[in-house]
Amino acid sequence: MAFASKKDDEGLSAYYNNKTTVIQEARVFNDSPISPRKCRALLTRVVHLLYIGESFSTQEATTLFFGTTKLFQHKDSALRQMVYLAIKELAGTAEDVIMVTSSIMKDMQPNSEVIYRPNSIRALCRIIDPSMAQGVERFFKAAIVDKTPSISSAALVSSYHLFPNAKDVVKRWANEAQEAVNAKSSTSLFGSSTGGGYLSGWGGSAGQQSSGYQAVPSASYITQYHALGLLYLIRQQDRMAVTKMIQQLGGGKTGAGTTLKNPMALCMLIRYAAKVLEEDPNVQKQMLDLLDGWLKHKSDMVNLEAARVICEMKNVPTFQLMRAIGVLQLFLSSPKATLRFAATRTLAALAVTHPSNVASVNVDLENLISDSNRSVATYAITTLLKTGNEASVDRLMKQISGFMNDISDEFKVIVVDAIRSLCLKFPDKHVSMLSFLSGVLRDEGGYDFKRAVVEAIFEMVKYISACREQALSHLCEFIEDCEFTKLSVRILHLLGIEGPKAPQPTKYIRFIYNRVVLENATVRAAAVGSLAKFGLNSNDAGLKKSIDTLLNRCLDDVDDEVRDRAAMYLRLFRESFLADTYVKEESVFSLDALESKLVSYVNDPSASIVPFDASSIPKISRAQAAAEVARPSSLETVGVPAKKEAAATPQLSAVEAQSAYIQQLKEVPELATYGEVLGSSKPAQLTESETEYQVSCVKHTFAEHIVFQFNVSNTIPDTVLEQVAVVMQPLTESNLTEDFIIPLPSLSSTTSPGIVYVSFTRDSPEEYASGSFQCVLKFISKEVDPATGEPEEDGYEDEYQLEEVELGAGDYIIPTYVTFSSEWDRLRGGASATETFSLSAMESLKAACDSIIEILNMQALGGTEDPSSTSVHTLQLAGLVVGAGGAGKALVRCRMTYSKAQGVTLELSVRAEKEEACSLVVSAIGG
Amino acid sequence: MPWYTSLFQWFSGLFFSKTADISIVGLQASGKTSFVNVIGSGQWSEEVVPTVGFNVRNVRKGNVTLKIWDIAGQPKFRSTWERYCSGVDVIIFIVDSHDKEKFDAAQFELHQLLSHQTLAAVPLLVLGNKNDLEDHASVNELIKALELDKIRNRAVSCYSCSMKSQHNLDIVLQWLTKHSH
Ligand SMILES: Nc1nc2c(ncn2[C@@H]2O[C@H](COP(=O)(O)OP(=O)(O)O)[C@@H](O)[C@H]2O)c(=O)[nH]1
Ligand SMILES: [Mg+2]
Repeated sequence: MAFASKKDDEGLSAYYNNKTTVIQEARVFNDSPISPRKCRALLTRVVHLLYIGESFSTQEATTLFFGTTKLFQHKDSALRQMVYLAIKELAGTAEDVIMVTSSIMKDMQPNSEVIYRPNSIRALCRIIDPSMAQGVERFFKAAIVDKTPSISSAALVSSYHLFPNAKDVVKRWANEAQEAVNAKSSTSLFGSSTGGGYLSGWGGSAGQQSSGYQAVPSASYITQYHALGLLYLIRQQDRMAVTKMIQQLGGGKTGAGTTLKNPMALCMLIRYAAKVLEEDPNVQKQMLDLLDGWLKHKSDMVNLEAARVICEMKNVPTFQLMRAIGVLQLFLSSPKATLRFAATRTLAALAVTHPSNVASVNVDLENLISDSNRSVATYAITTLLKTGNEASVDRLMKQISGFMNDISDEFKVIVVDAIRSLCLKFPDKHVSMLSFLSGVLRDEGGYDFKRAVVEAIFEMVKYISACREQALSHLCEFIEDCEFTKLSVRILHLLGIEGPKAPQPTKYIRFIYNRVVLENATVRAAAVGSLAKFGLNSNDAGLKKSIDTLLNRCLDDVDDEVRDRAAMYLRLFRESFLADTYVKEESVFSLDALESKLVSYVNDPSASIVPFDASSIPKISRAQAAAEVARPSSLETVGVPAKKEAAATPQLSAVEAQSAYIQQLKEVPELATYGEVLGSSKPAQLTESETEYQVSCVKHTFAEHIVFQFNVSNTIPDTVLEQVAVVMQPLTESNLTEDFIIPLPSLSSTTSPGIVYVSFTRDSPEEYASGSFQCVLKFISKEVDPATGEPEEDGYEDEYQLEEVELGAGDYIIPTYVTFSSEWDRLRGGASATETFSLSAMESLKAACDSIIEILNMQALGGTEDPSSTSVHTLQLAGLVVGAGGAGKALVRCRMTYSKAQGVTLELSVRAEKEEACSLVVSAIGG
Repeated sequence: MPWYTSLFQWFSGLFFSKTADISIVGLQASGKTSFVNVIGSGQWSEEVVPTVGFNVRNVRKGNVTLKIWDIAGQPKFRSTWERYCSGVDVIIFIVDSHDKEKFDAAQFELHQLLSHQTLAAVPLLVLGNKNDLEDHASVNELIKALELDKIRNRAVSCYSCSMKSQHNLDIVLQWLTKHSH
């Protein structure tokens, strides 16, 4: 790597390649006559400094830049190329770089010598600003299809860099890029576009000799790779076009008809195919056929890429998967380490999901466990750990212990993760695994490695009770000498939870108290919390007393946090109801919701006159909270090479979605005066899934308004919709008055989805308005002229019937978690109501539970959403009812019976902090 | 021309050759790029692409090699004139002698440029271009409008000329040869 070389060079040329010296010596640029040799050497040093990460100030860069431009048009071709390199590197920092535009353009022209054209094209794209792209369009179009590969490549790569800032212009170069991809033979020996320039080179004068450039025919066809990259960049928003491109360039079923000769271009094509596959299951068959063909391609690179894509695919047919594994198997015995590495790495990832299929190459993997390339050996062993049986575990672990010290932390983490998943698969092996883990915990290693080990031990504590005590002891020993504060804190927390339940809680106290004496403030504070839990959760009076003494000592700590914690816990010791709330309570605030409310509270200066109101923040159970932060279960992550981004985008949780909505609505000026959004529904689909226009609706509840957000997608590539609006017609008296519609000025397939808002005022905000609305999508449809990319003048008005939108009780309720029994008791004196309903149409208790939860949008508690009996059941629900005067809790108890004859009979009881909330719930079920 | 004559010129070029670095500045559309084109290759054109930044060109006239920097004249480029004028043998300042409304601006930019210490004593040649057009300013009018009489401590000359008709370009060349070394 470039940066690594900085160190090596230091002794040799620290002075020679020092920034200040270089800037001083830049005087040579002004010498007359110019010395090409000196200037070239100096420019090399400038570029070298930039490559190793040295940075120049704007002024220094500008001075060097202008000095460099004085060398322009020098007849020494090596100097001229160096000038271009320096200009490219300095262009980012120097000022007024636009000065060289005319000079560079001169070198780009077809009558310029071939050697300068690629250099100048590449330099130009660093110099010009996006508004000038239009001006060079004609030139770029010609250069992209130039027969000289270096010119064509330079133009393609430069277009690629220009694209982000000049999309509309570069998009128009797609035809040329397509031509460059297809170029049958990149160049013939004499095919240079400069014609006679070099042919008459011999016997010519001195001047001509310097231009004796030979257009080297490209054997690599690298231009195809560059052209494909640009084409994809232009088309990536349009899945249909990408699919077509893959089919066309893929070369038919066997792949034999492809015009792509460059293996890197084919690898890119395979990656695009993988992306399309993931997004559109309909093309699976065609794409798999293509991939199958590429497995037999003559280039290793292409085979590997195709095999990897097949292995990473979801629901791939077994025979196809086995073919990919077969290809990888061949590479396992390759003399080239890179091929063995690529193959084992792919197999290691595949072993997580398909261990039995991978097991078919176990024999070949066995041969690699002592591979001289430790990375290959590590992957081979971790793969075998996943595919092998219990009997082989000990042997493999011994093998790998042998070279744990030879491999990098990154690979150590892979090994540890493999062991971690093995613990769960073969719990009986816990003794040897725990001793392996505790052993490596003592080894040297960085944070990531140590964290992996600690987390693996955590998981053993959690799932394998037989080794719990032993594991906790190892952790205690580890924190005696742990340099990572974060890990100490996590271990202390775990000890606080698990320790008091252990047969001999007292044996952990010493380790924990040592932290209070020896460590930094963060760790000391964690230790105080941990100690306190032993005192609070134990029935042993003696233990309680000693903890009390220890905490009292902490009151003298120099750190505020440590003292405060000690003082707080001592108070909890005396007042047990506080202990119930702060230590034993099972629900916690949803952190995402708490964060976003706090952020908007802090950002709104006018809000600071009233205290922060936590009542509208939903709560979740500790288990849920743990699930939210948990990393994916180890079984899924073991040894998987870094996942592609697509797979990593998780479904937004409801709370995260809510935070996103708050942000989004804040950016709409028309809604600025509405205040904070109180709640938002899940999106409801208003169209069939395969229609031309797709619309979904999200309802946002504000204190005095309801805002309907319509997400509209236009799936037709060649039309633009203008003045897109949704017209809503209440079907019943709704107590809502329409304020306005915020239409979308224009919507194309690439800008989809767009948002249309419709706002209503709640006529009487203390009531919960409800009703159904008929919705119609209206717009003006215009064709797009394929030549210019602009919509045509004339369009026609059109409309499209959508499904109805319902506003109901659920739109005023946010699900929240509570401890049902105690909360139900507490609300005994509040508003309450009980009614009985006969739901004769319901076919089961489960169906009744589902529809009640859906209507009320409340949180089902204690697993009561899944009835265990088919005849009697009690469903318990909790929610926050949002209203003008803040939110209030509402709890619902649904006692149900079911019989074939009568369907479901429901006794609905509600207890709420506010009267309106009670009637809202009852009317929602009754009405 | 017989081959031995050109060979002779080539030899004499080697032994008696002179060079000069020249920067050409002036407001946009005064005819700087046209000057380089006409001097360099006898190409005159009504349509010239406005210069973005600068262009540099080597021109050989007899036994003199001129390296000419043609600098753009739009306001945003004027701050860079000084960089390209420092170290040269001659500065040429071109004015469109027919566009009298711009004389004030030209006067200001010229004196602004000459005030730089780095450019002290560099000889200046002022060309009143486009004298093929009716109503162009004479040399005397230019001297007055551009306040050339107030310039001290450097050689200053002013000619009226035309790139289109090539009027007076021969004396311009003579002047440049004189200032070569
Ligand atoms: N009539 C006339 N037009 C000229 C003369 N010299 C230049 N031009 C025109 O003036 C315009 C600007 O010239 P250009 O060389 O681009 O000026 P620059 O911006 O100073 O480089 C062009 O249309 C030229 O054709 C001249 O001597 N006579
Ligand atoms: Mg010009």
